[in-house]
Amino acid sequence: MSRFFYPKLAATNLKKNAQTYLPYILTCIGTVMMYYIMVFLSKNEGLGKMTGGSEVQTILNLGCYVIAIFAAIFLFYTHSFLIKRRKKEFGLFNILGMEKKHIARVLAIETLYVAGISLGAGLLGGILLSKLIFMVLLKILNFEVPLGFEVSGPALAAVLVLFAGIFLLTLLNTLRQIHLAKPVELLMGGQTGEKEPKTKWLLVAMGTLSLGGGYYISLTTESPLAALTQFFFAVLLVMVGTYCLFTAGSIAVLKLLRRNKGYYYQTRHFTAVAGMMYRMKQNAVGLANICIMATAVLVMVSTTVSLYIGMEDVLRTRYPQHIMISTPVPAQQSVEGLQTSVKEVLAKHGLEGKDRLDYRYAALVGNQEGDRVITDMSNISDDSSSVREFYLIPLEDYNRLAKRTASLGDDEILIYSSSSKYEEDTLTVLNRTFTVKERLDSFFENSPNRVSISGSYYVVVKDMDVVKAMEEARAKENGDDPSGYRYYLGFDLEAGEADISAVYQDIRTAVGSDYPGSSIESPVAAKESFFAIYGGLFFLGIFLGALFIMATVLIIYYKQVSEGYDDKARFEIMQKVGMSREEVRGSIRSQVLIVFFLPLVAAGIHIAFAFPIITKLLAVLNLTNVGLFAWCTAGTILVFALFYAIVYGLTAKVYYRIVSWGTSG
Amino acid sequence: MTILEVNNLKKVYTTRFGGSPVQALANVSFSVEEGEYAAIMGESGSGKTTLLNILASLDKPTSGEVLLKGKGLTTIKEKEISAFRRENLGFVFQDFNLLDTFSLQDNIFLPLVLSGKSYEEMSRRLEPIARKLGIGDILAKYPYEVSGGQKQRCAVARALITKPQLILADEPTGSLDSQSAEGLLRLFKEINSEGQTLLMVTHSVKAASHAKRVLFIKDGEVFHQLYKAGMSDEAMYQKISDTLTTMATGGGHHE
Ligand SMILES: Nc1ncnc2c1ncn2[C@@H]1O[C@H](COP(=O)(O)OP(=O)(O)O)[C@@H](O)[C@H]1O
Ligand SMILES: [Mg+2]
Repeated sequence: MSRFFYPKLAATNLKKNAQTYLPYILTCIGTVMMYYIMVFLSKNEGLGKMTGGSEVQTILNLGCYVIAIFAAIFLFYTHSFLIKRRKKEFGLFNILGMEKKHIARVLAIETLYVAGISLGAGLLGGILLSKLIFMVLLKILNFEVPLGFEVSGPALAAVLVLFAGIFLLTLLNTLRQIHLAKPVELLMGGQTGEKEPKTKWLLVAMGTLSLGGGYYISLTTESPLAALTQFFFAVLLVMVGTYCLFTAGSIAVLKLLRRNKGYYYQTRHFTAVAGMMYRMKQNAVGLANICIMATAVLVMVSTTVSLYIGMEDVLRTRYPQHIMISTPVPAQQSVEGLQTSVKEVLAKHGLEGKDRLDYRYAALVGNQEGDRVITDMSNISDDSSSVREFYLIPLEDYNRLAKRTASLGDDEILIYSSSSKYEEDTLTVLNRTFTVKERLDSFFENSPNRVSISGSYYVVVKDMDVVKAMEEARAKENGDDPSGYRYYLGFDLEAGEADISAVYQDIRTAVGSDYPGSSIESPVAAKESFFAIYGGLFFLGIFLGALFIMATVLIIYYKQVSEGYDDKARFEIMQKVGMSREEVRGSIRSQVLIVFFLPLVAAGIHIAFAFPIITKLLAVLNLTNVGLFAWCTAGTILVFALFYAIVYGLTAKVYYRIVSWGTSG
Repeated sequence: MTILEVNNLKKVYTTRFGGSPVQALANVSFSVEEGEYAAIMGESGSGKTTLLNILASLDKPTSGEVLLKGKGLTTIKEKEISAFRRENLGFVFQDFNLLDTFSLQDNIFLPLVLSGKSYEEMSRRLEPIARKLGIGDILAKYPYEVSGGQKQRCAVARALITKPQLILADEPTGSLDSQSAEGLLRLFKEINSEGQTLLMVTHSVKAASHAKRVLFIKDGEVFHQLYKAGMSDEAMYQKISDTLTTMATGGGHHE
């Protein structure tokens, strides 16, 4: 045989199977491009040197791992689909006298071609696009765009290693399949394994329980801190539930329908139920994949977009005042020094503090158990949902700020809660029992830590003696030094960002040395790092969203193609036994529609149930604007659904061409 | 009484991409009487399937007419044609044409379900047929779980259950082993003896020798026909073989 026989045959094979291989190669190219760009950005030195750049790169690094893992699983999966469709071809080669090792050789050459094209085009595209994406990222981050163009060696190496590995693995897996199969089995190809699916009630029950459990967690989780730990668990439950219900649940429902003879043997239901059964058997896992990917895209994009859009809100929530000073005041020190320093700085800049807010307080953390608070650190339970912060504030300061004239007895308190209401009549903390005189519906504006991941209570006590006594008791229990009490001073400035920033810097130098342990914050100072983090997340969300959408498109396309080949035969038989062309067409069209929009609808339901827990997670990230998040979610779903419908429409064309509805009249 | 009448049927396939047109049927005329069991013989490519598809109203002739009980197939409206086919014609195909999405029972029920019959009525109809065809205990299975012979018997059951005027069979033994083929042919004979009209298309001499009448087509025309009358299957087999030899050596028409 000629030396060129195998390379030629390999090339012919690829061309002959272009309908399925072209989308696969395009996806390979796309994945290579995205991976190159992500590695390029995460290793870019210029970006690393910018303020907040290293945070961004940590986020992007995460993106690299996600893309790598995803690419491996996804390309492996789609390739096995390609091979399944080609088994007949291999069987034919085998019967025509080609040995398995020859087939292996052809396959190896084919893989080499595919790898060559994918890496070549992908890297070229990646290198060209990397600059553009880099500029987009910097724009998102509010960073300055540097000049120049570069090709990253480490990124090239990373791409080559990852994708050589993936291609090698897929080739080995294919060879294993070919090696194990008998020629007859190969010839039968896709036609084997048409067994009637059994109803797996255990899976249905498991799926229902885990999905219900996931939804329940989302609906009932109250505190943001708990949401943080529970979210992952809920996601896992929902994923398990989705797989179980798509595979076993759909079959169980259809079988129940089929058992109902009066329903099943109606003209309209008969072919639909049987057809859906067949389709679900073939596609359940693929559809569950689409559903989970769609959900992931929707969550990722809607949250990162709302965080990015809501950045000003986030800053304002996290930093309610332009300058926020909070410091421990040891017993021998007073707060006057601090007040004077601040006054001097403001005078120097010719500015005045607006909406000035100051008060003394002490902070306690403990587990709330009914009307008791366990502050002993060694006893704090793992159950994060009952962790509460308590801010003890003297009545004098409260009355001044809230413009009230309330009065309190020695062991009486006023209590205000930032999240769930305090229901008890007494409060016992550090061996002292207080009686709740009044539950406050509102507190003064701009109180510190208004948003906290654990619930917080503001407790107004009679006077500073109580505050100090409590702090001493706390220090004693924990065996550390009492800090006396703490002092908060905050105000707004009517000035531009640059001036606020200057004031902030001056106050830091003036106050920092006199009051060790003080914290001085300003939204202006935090803005850059917020942009870096939320911008980075936003970028990653969009980027990975695009990747997942690409994957979804490919899966839909392959489903349409394989459905098409199977439906063609059935379509002809149905006509022969007396269904009209229109009837067959209508029934198949509605089945195809159901199959493809089921994942989208399921994803929509997931999102609806996930909404409460995600709003709590966003609260941890200081986004409390639920309305904004709702809009972003709705918008994302709409855009995604539109995109999905377009993809469906385009791939449906391929489907119709295969079943040749468009041609024969 | 004449059930089927075919007059001057002509079918020319014109390929889409400007290839030369293929004439599958040139001028075919014949008729089938009620209670008859007729076979149409011809080589592969002689237009048998084309003829059957036209009789089944799955395809349209280029010219000529087909009358089923005096009603012209070409006059039936497109909308009513599948209902007409369902109610008047039964089909048995070489490759069974069973849907693997349905159990065998549901495959048999399919035409009745399409006609809107109730489950009770369908079961009542199926029972005697299943007994006769010996498929009672495989009804719950799926096509891919049973042998070719069993599949074909189910296809026959599907054809019978609508009580059609005429059963059309295209190479029904084509995919069967000789034993199953023999069984199926015996079954056809039995059905026919109960009054069912059958028209079978085949290139198997063995299959044709079971029919009461054999029509030969060649070059798109009915070339010759043989009546079995009182002959045995073996004698008929011999006669068909002789005729085929004559046809192959280019003999002229004779009655
Ligand atoms: N759909 C079609 N388009 C074009 N030519 C066809 C088509 N179907 C059949 N033919 C041609 O018509 C002739 C008769 O075919 P067919 O009826 O299938 O013969 P048979 O069933 O006797 O083997 C053959 O030459 C075949 O190639
Ligand atoms: Mg034929």
